[in-house]
Amino acid sequence: MKSAEGRGRTLDEAVDAALIELKESRRNVDIKVITEGSEETVVEVTVIDQAAASAESAAPANGKAEIARGLVEGLLKHMGVRAQVTVRTGTDPITLDVSGRDLGALIGWRGETLRALQSVTNVMVGRHLAEGERIIVDVERYRQRREHTVREIAMRAARQVKMTGDAITLDAMQPFERRAIHLALEGDPDVTSGSIGEEPERRVVVGPRKPAG
Amino acid sequence: MPGRRAAERIRKAIALVNSVADDAGDEEITPTEIAEAIRDCLELSEVDDAPNVRKYLGEALDAVSDGMPADFVAMTLYAALGALQEGGQLN
Repeated sequence: MKSAEGRGRTLDEAVDAALIELKESRRNVDIKVITEGSEETVVEVTVIDQAAASAESAAPANGKAEIARGLVEGLLKHMGVRAQVTVRTGTDPITLDVSGRDLGALIGWRGETLRALQSVTNVMVGRHLAEGERIIVDVERYRQRREHTVREIAMRAARQVKMTGDAITLDAMQPFERRAIHLALEGDPDVTSGSIGEEPERRVVVGPRKPAG
Repeated sequence: MPGRRAAERIRKAIALVNSVADDAGDEEITPTEIAEAIRDCLELSEVDDAPNVRKYLGEALDAVSDGMPADFVAMTLYAALGALQEGGQLN
């Protein structure tokens, strides 16, 4: 059974230290406090979800993803950020999830710092990637949540367009958000999406699809 | 506010580069357009008010000319934005 000792000034810090060593999330572990003092707390963290843990270790390691994960983990360590980096399974392109406590600063204003982290990651891993291949970095599922949100906005806009027949212009969005909308609506036979304006004020327009011919 | 215009222009250049890297699939951005956006930044005298901003912008422009990957150009522009912020020009 995998276990690790964690030390920190607080209980949370001690648990986080052990979780980082184990590369596990809180829901998969049992936490035992060994000592708790005003200056230092020591905990023993043991992995309890062995099925999930063994499934993960049995999965064939993706070399590129592991290289990228290691590089981002090292980069964050140099930045003094205590966080776990995991490879999201079953995604193409390779997606790295960064999780931890108080990572708002790593996301930044409108995801700016997160986007910068992704650029640095792709530059560092670049020589291991094929042409056109990219690594996506997500912090606390921020990107995933934004994609989900804009897809919902797209669906609402599509419903309104079908009811009124009028085109709707959405708020300015980042490229990955616009892409999520175009992909969400590309299969809809009644509406179409396009973009207008210049970066960074480029906006998606959802309108009725004109009949062919 | 001093530095605000420079930050806006650098962010515009970053958005153009990210648009190429992320491939939203709804516009064609040419290297010439990115280079123009970076030159727009270099035209502002306020980029000299903080150390290294002009240097990083120059490197980004060189990277575009050399056909470096979009992520490399973006990283260099983020460095320029960071230098501007560290220079105390922005909150």
